[in-house]
Amino acid sequence: MTHAEAAARETAPRLKLSTKDGLLGALLIAPTVLIFCAVIVYPLVSAIYLSLFSIYTPTLKGSWVGLDNYAALLASGEFWNAFWVNVVWTVGTLVLQVVLGVALALLLHQNIVFRSLARSLILFPYFMSTVVAVLVWRWVFNDLYGILNHAMMWMGLMSMPLDWIGSMPNAMISVILVGAWKYFPFVVISVLARLQTIPDHLYEAATMDGAGWWGRFTDITLPQLREVLFIVILLRAIWDFKEFDLIYLLTGGGPVTATQTLPLLVYKQAFALNEMGGASAVAVLMMLFMLGFMLLYFRYGRATES
Amino acid sequence: MRRFGLSRILFNLLAWAIVLVVSFPLLWTIVTSLKPQTELFLIPPSLLPGEVTFEHYRKLLLETRFLTYFSNSVVVSVATTVLVVAVAVLGAHSLVRFAYPGRERLAQLVLFTYLLPSVVLIIPLYLLLVRMGIANTLLSLVVAYTTFALPFAVWLLRSFMAGIPQDLEAAAMVDGASRMGAFFDVILPQALPGIISTAVFTFILAWNEYLFALVLVNQDSSRTLTTGVITMLVTSFHIEWSMLMAASVMMSVPVIVVFAFLQKHLTRGFGAGAVKG
Amino acid sequence: MTKVTFDRVHKAFGTFVALEQLDLAIASGEFVSLLGPSGCGKTTTLRMLAGLEQPTRGTISVGDRVVNELPPAERDLAMVFQSYALYPHMTVAQNIEYPLRKRGVPRAVRREQVLRAAAQLQLEPLLDRKPRQLSGGQQQRVALGRALVRNPAAFLLDEPLSNLDAKLRAHMRAELIELHQRIGKTMIYVTHDQLEAMTMSDRIAVLDQGRLQQFDTPLEIYNRPVNLFVAGFIGTPAMNLLRGSLRPDGNRLVFQAGRLSLGLPAALVRRDAVHEAGVDIVLGVRPEDLGLAGDGVRATVKVVEPTGHESIVFFDLVDHTVVGRVGPDVRLAAGEPVGVALNVAKLHVFAAADGRRLNADVPPAAAQAAPSLVA
Repeated sequence: MTHAEAAARETAPRLKLSTKDGLLGALLIAPTVLIFCAVIVYPLVSAIYLSLFSIYTPTLKGSWVGLDNYAALLASGEFWNAFWVNVVWTVGTLVLQVVLGVALALLLHQNIVFRSLARSLILFPYFMSTVVAVLVWRWVFNDLYGILNHAMMWMGLMSMPLDWIGSMPNAMISVILVGAWKYFPFVVISVLARLQTIPDHLYEAATMDGAGWWGRFTDITLPQLREVLFIVILLRAIWDFKEFDLIYLLTGGGPVTATQTLPLLVYKQAFALNEMGGASAVAVLMMLFMLGFMLLYFRYGRATES
Repeated sequence: MRRFGLSRILFNLLAWAIVLVVSFPLLWTIVTSLKPQTELFLIPPSLLPGEVTFEHYRKLLLETRFLTYFSNSVVVSVATTVLVVAVAVLGAHSLVRFAYPGRERLAQLVLFTYLLPSVVLIIPLYLLLVRMGIANTLLSLVVAYTTFALPFAVWLLRSFMAGIPQDLEAAAMVDGASRMGAFFDVILPQALPGIISTAVFTFILAWNEYLFALVLVNQDSSRTLTTGVITMLVTSFHIEWSMLMAASVMMSVPVIVVFAFLQKHLTRGFGAGAVKG
Repeated sequence: MTKVTFDRVHKAFGTFVALEQLDLAIASGEFVSLLGPSGCGKTTTLRMLAGLEQPTRGTISVGDRVVNELPPAERDLAMVFQSYALYPHMTVAQNIEYPLRKRGVPRAVRREQVLRAAAQLQLEPLLDRKPRQLSGGQQQRVALGRALVRNPAAFLLDEPLSNLDAKLRAHMRAELIELHQRIGKTMIYVTHDQLEAMTMSDRIAVLDQGRLQQFDTPLEIYNRPVNLFVAGFIGTPAMNLLRGSLRPDGNRLVFQAGRLSLGLPAALVRRDAVHEAGVDIVLGVRPEDLGLAGDGVRATVKVVEPTGHESIVFFDLVDHTVVGRVGPDVRLAAGEPVGVALNVAKLHVFAAADGRRLNADVPPAAAQAAPSLVA
């Protein structure tokens, strides 16, 4: 560097190369961060803030009530009913999703004819609109014209058509079934992707050691799937717990409140009862519960691994 | 696994029986949509249409606002996809290739956002959109969908882009490219499979979305397919099953097309993302 | 005018020091190797020169320009990566012309320069292929072509031959030497293979654990290694190293290692390094300076490894195992007793405490500049 250049360098403060680089990196992630703030920070803070008010939805005007919303909820039968219903629904559909998902992933891992087509058909429920899925199932469940009732009567399993959606425990069973059908392909994709990375020679070695197909499944396949299943179960549990569209469209929460889960309660509070504050309180309680669940899940998971 | 013969055939039959049972509702939808109105309510229902008719499709396309809803959905889904992919690819590149304070924490925060139930987001988001003056418009849906599609897109693209060799970018920079020049010349082309997977997921996410569309848009002309179809064909008293089935088939067509085209990419996408956690 | 200078360059990653106070002056047109084991800092040094990493302290200059604050694109340096880093979605021709595109060279001129570079490296038939359709050797030549086409001030090469098989490596070594002779540009070459460094370089910079050990011509490094590390690193098979003590005995020196006792001329070692009480040293002797002699020290043959043009022989020399080289016509059997003699003029003496060379032939100034071994 010449003297003149060096002198110029000193008078004009310039950013170091590494700083400039870091700034560019920050710039690239800025839109994402901005949007994240809109998604996480803002709604979280808002929800907590709103839950301390009593707000009339159409006008969005409210008054401070402090923790009254929470007190009322925790004392209300409807809240705990919704909580219990949510748990039943989540556990029921999750178990089915995982069992069906793993089973079908194993099936699709084999060399069957038209395997690509089979895969597409199996994966499709996940990618179709919930609206469409629910409409289709309502048609299938229909008490007069639904094919399910007719098929079961034809097979001799029953003599009268069932009301699948309007009565209990049928409504819960229907919801769980449809939920399982809609979301099990997520398990299939994740497990299948993992299955495809298990080296063949592990199975070959086991076969030479005398293991049959069940032995190979429990000793080789299952341990390899452990990690994937850990994450898949967590994700599905959270997403199933939060599920709104499917239950709302299938039963609307009915009969009465028999299938009203927490998300449905939030919607009802906000838009049917016009109580925005109360709805936010339910949402915050939901979040706290899921956070607690996630923390426990990770602790348990780490403990069993070691 | 290489034994031909009876057990093989039986296995294939069993496998396909299961596949058909699982996909039955879909096939049934198509069948129902092709049945004439009179045949629809037969007891017991007929397994195959006695007479194939496209009258429900015709009615839907010509006599209802179906096409309006359809074009709205297309606009919203495409706009969301473009926006999300653009923002996510830049963000993922930043997370993978740059160094600045707080980077690691941001990366972890990404999936954390999915803990929030959409019902929580919807209330503040609605208020925000009202304040922005865009409530009840397609734009509000694009904004809303971008917010919840973005975390997953960033997560997915991050796994993909982490797999691109570092040397490529370094070579481009030594060869004379600026940081962003190297990004466009070398990184983007390499990230294309990941970008396609992300675009597909985002498109399908936006196309199928219901709750936000329900709450944020009340004007019928701005409705998307999901809410539009329900409003139009489903009331507390009467459900137009035949047109509903036809609508269901047509709503699923873009998904099927996109899906069939890129089925291979989808499995790879989940493999890269899910397995790496 | 394309010398390269490192002035007190220091690089730390948090608390880990990758490079310690490097001072290195590479002359214009020189072929310099940065040689050392994994983790010694050689690649870090190269990357800092390229601009892919930033030094924590110190300045790097290319020609007369300090380049610390210049992005890689503006340093006028070309780099060949170990993985070749060819752009997979571009053809060979597009790969080679990329640097020219970035500099705004018009298309017709680009085409011509690409063809010229391709001709130099016999790449013409491959111009329309994609990298994945090429063999390792071909990919390497494309990487070279991409570097050549720019006519840069200097070339940086990061272990470019390590992914090739042995035969191809030998061939490419010769080609690189010839290339350097032809274009005469400064080349900085990172490698862990001392044979490559020895055969190709004008000078070698030996590094270990972030410190420069010695910067000299290959022959100097071979014949006068400045410390124990360099002595043991250069040369295959490695130098024999015997730990023992050295004390004066009259007008000569006595080296004692266990039961082995050797008489050495006093002129071998620097006067100030020897004490009456004796000093702990490591005696080094290269395999080729160790031979059979009827009146030599009694030893037993342990293992013989015939390579065709010579034999590598392991001897049991009074509780020590040493390696020597003998001609192809010498027949030895395992267990055979022989006499072994050392070429006294070629002995190396290092201080056991810090590894420094104690031979009298090291000029005092150089002895002080040479760093010690201790971590």
